[in-house]
Amino acid sequence: MAESEEEVDVLVQRVVKDIINAFKRNPNIDEIGVIPCPEARYNRSPIVLVENKLGVESWCVKFLLPYVHNKLLLYRQRKHWLDREALVDITCTLLLLNPDFTTAWNVRKELLQSGVLNPEKDLYLGKLALTKFPKSPETWIHRRWVLQQILRQFSAEGQTSKQQQQQGETEQADAERSQQLGDHLARTLHQEMKVCCDAACLYPSNYNAWSHRIWVLQHMAMGNVKVFHDELSSMRLWVSMHVSDHSGFHYRQFLLKELITELSQPLSSATNSPQHNSSTVPSSSPSHHSQAQANGELSGVEAAGEEERQPSFTTIIQLFCQEIELCSDLIHSFPGHETLWSHRRHVFYLWHHWRREYQHYSSNGGSELVHLNDSDPGLQTVGAQSCAGRGESVNGQGHATEAMEVDGASFPELRDSKRLKTGILLPDPPALSSEYSFVSSILDDCCNPEQRRFALAYEKWLDTVIGHQP
Amino acid sequence: MKLYSLSILHKGATKANLLKAAYDLSSFSFFQRSSIQEFMTFTSALIVERTTQGSRASVKEQDLYKLIKKSIMHDDCIKEYLCHVYVRNDNLSAVVIADTEYPQRVCFTLLDKVLEEFSRQVDSIDWPSGNPETINYKALDIHLSKYQNPREADAMTKVQAELDETKIILHNTMESLLERGEKLDDLVSKSEHLGNQSKAFYKTARKQNSCCEIM
Repeated sequence: MAESEEEVDVLVQRVVKDIINAFKRNPNIDEIGVIPCPEARYNRSPIVLVENKLGVESWCVKFLLPYVHNKLLLYRQRKHWLDREALVDITCTLLLLNPDFTTAWNVRKELLQSGVLNPEKDLYLGKLALTKFPKSPETWIHRRWVLQQILRQFSAEGQTSKQQQQQGETEQADAERSQQLGDHLARTLHQEMKVCCDAACLYPSNYNAWSHRIWVLQHMAMGNVKVFHDELSSMRLWVSMHVSDHSGFHYRQFLLKELITELSQPLSSATNSPQHNSSTVPSSSPSHHSQAQANGELSGVEAAGEEERQPSFTTIIQLFCQEIELCSDLIHSFPGHETLWSHRRHVFYLWHHWRREYQHYSSNGGSELVHLNDSDPGLQTVGAQSCAGRGESVNGQGHATEAMEVDGASFPELRDSKRLKTGILLPDPPALSSEYSFVSSILDDCCNPEQRRFALAYEKWLDTVIGHQP
Repeated sequence: MKLYSLSILHKGATKANLLKAAYDLSSFSFFQRSSIQEFMTFTSALIVERTTQGSRASVKEQDLYKLIKKSIMHDDCIKEYLCHVYVRNDNLSAVVIADTEYPQRVCFTLLDKVLEEFSRQVDSIDWPSGNPETINYKALDIHLSKYQNPREADAMTKVQAELDETKIILHNTMESLLERGEKLDDLVSKSEHLGNQSKAFYKTARKQNSCCEIM
C-alpha cells in the first residue's frame, strides 16, 4: 500500500476530497464511524456512505490522521500556506477523526469570526464528532463558544430592531422579527437538548454532556419555567431507564432546584419584582401558552404564570411529592443502585431547606396565603388538595397551609397504608418520619445486601444531617 | 438499562443450534453492528453449550466487548454485559444479553416466558435441526422491545417469589466456562457464527490489545 511520501500525499488528498464530497452528496449524514478493515481493498475509496452513516475504513486512519495533523501544525507555524477552503476541509477531516485537537477548533473559530464558516455548520460538525466521541471535552467547549456567538448575534439583532422601532418602524414588523428570533432560538435550544441526550445515551454518566445541557439552560432559558418543566417531565422516563447514571440524576436535581427557586420568588418577595427574565428566549412566545396545556402533568405552573404570580407553593409541594414518589418507586423496582439513594438525599435535603424557608415566610405573611386559599379554592392543585384532604381525615386538621406549616413530624403515618397507584392521589409531602418508615419498609422486605447497605446509610444520614438541624 | 439480544437455541449433544434470535443494537455504532451481532450469537451458543441441563446462569461477559470497544470505538468506556441463560430439562434454551443495570430477575422471567411460548408454538421435532429461516415463531422481536422497559413489562413483581435467586450460577468471566486447556481464541477461529471479517478483526484487536492505538 501507499508507503512512499508522494503516495501518501496523493492518497490523503483523495480521502479528504472524498469526505467533503460525501457531505455534499448527502447533507443529512447523522453518524460517523470507523469500519474495521485491516487491509485496503484494491482501488476502492476508504470512505463509505451507507444510508446516512459515514464510515472510514480503519486501514487508512494511520496515514490520514498524522498527515492532516502535520499539515495544520505547519500552517499554524506559518511554514505552509493553506487557503481558506483547504483549511475548512482539513479541519473537518481532522476533527472527525480526533475531535480533541484544540488547534483545529481554534482555526475554525478564526474562520467563523471572519465569516467563512457559519455557526450552524460548526454545530453540525460537532454533533457528528460526538456520535463517535460522545465525551470529547474540546468539542463541547467549542460548542459553547459557538452558541455564545449565536447569542451575541441575536442580542445585537434584537437591539437594532429596537432602534428601528424608535425610528418609527411599525410595531408589527418588529414583533414579527422578535418572534422569528425567538423561534430560531427555541429551535437551537431544542437541538442542543437532542445532541446532549444522544451523547448521554452513548456513554454512561457522560458528565460533559450533562454539564453542557445545564450550561445551555442557564444561558438560553433562564427564568423560563415552561422549559424547565418540560425538561423535568421529559427526563422522567430517561432516568427511569438509566438508574445508575449519576450525571443524569444530577441534571434532574439541577432542574428541580431551579424550578423551586423560580417558583418561590413570588413567595419571598411580595412586590411584583420583574424576574430575571431571559433576555434571549422570550417567554411570551406563542408556543409558551399553547404547549403548556399539553403538559398535563404539571398544570399548576400555568396558574403561577398567568395569575400575576400567585403564590405557587402548591406546585412546589407537588414537585417534591412527585420526585420523592418517583424515587421510592425506582428504589423498589431496581434494588441496589446507589445513584437512586443519593438522589433521594438530595431531594429530601432540598425539601427540608425549602420548608424551613417557607415556614419563615409564612410566619410573616401567612394570613395572606390562607386568605388566598379561602377565596379561590380553584387555585389549589390536585396534589395539595389530596395532601390536605388526607391530613384532615386522619388528624382533623384544617387547611392545606396549616398542615404544611406544622412540622412534618405531625403528619400522620400514611406511608404504611398501601400507596394508591391511580395517579390521582399524591402522597403526603415528604417528612422526616415518612423517610424513616420508607427506610424500614425497605429493610423489612429486601434481602439484596447492597440495597440494605444504602438504606442504612440513608438512615444514618437522616440521623446526623437532618435530625440534628432545628 | 438495555437488552441487546434474545435468542432461542436447542442444546444438542455437542453443540447448540440457533433456532431464532432478535437483536436491538441501536446503541452501537452503525458500522459495528454486524460484527457485534455475530459475536452475540457466538457467545449465546457457547454459553448454552457450557451450561448444564435444567439450570440457570448469568455470565459476566467483558472480554469480547472490551476488545470490540477498544478497537472500533477507541473508547475507555468499558461497560459490562451480562448473559443470562436458561437451559430447560428438555434442552430447549434461551439467552438474553443485557447490561448490568437491567434487573436479573426480569431477565429470567422473560426467558421462562419466551421458552414456554415457543415450545407451545413450535413442534419439538423441529428443535434439533431447525434454523432461524425455517422456524415459524415471530414474537421474539416484540418481547425484546417490550421488555426494554422492565417496568412496562408485566414482570416486575410477579415472579419475584417463584424464582430462587440463589440457584442462579454466576460466572465472572467467559473463561470460567471453558474447559481446561481450551482457549477462547481457538473457539473464535472455529466458530461458524462469526464471519471472516469478524474473525480477522478479533485477531487484530487481540494482537494490538493496547490503548495507545490511534483508532
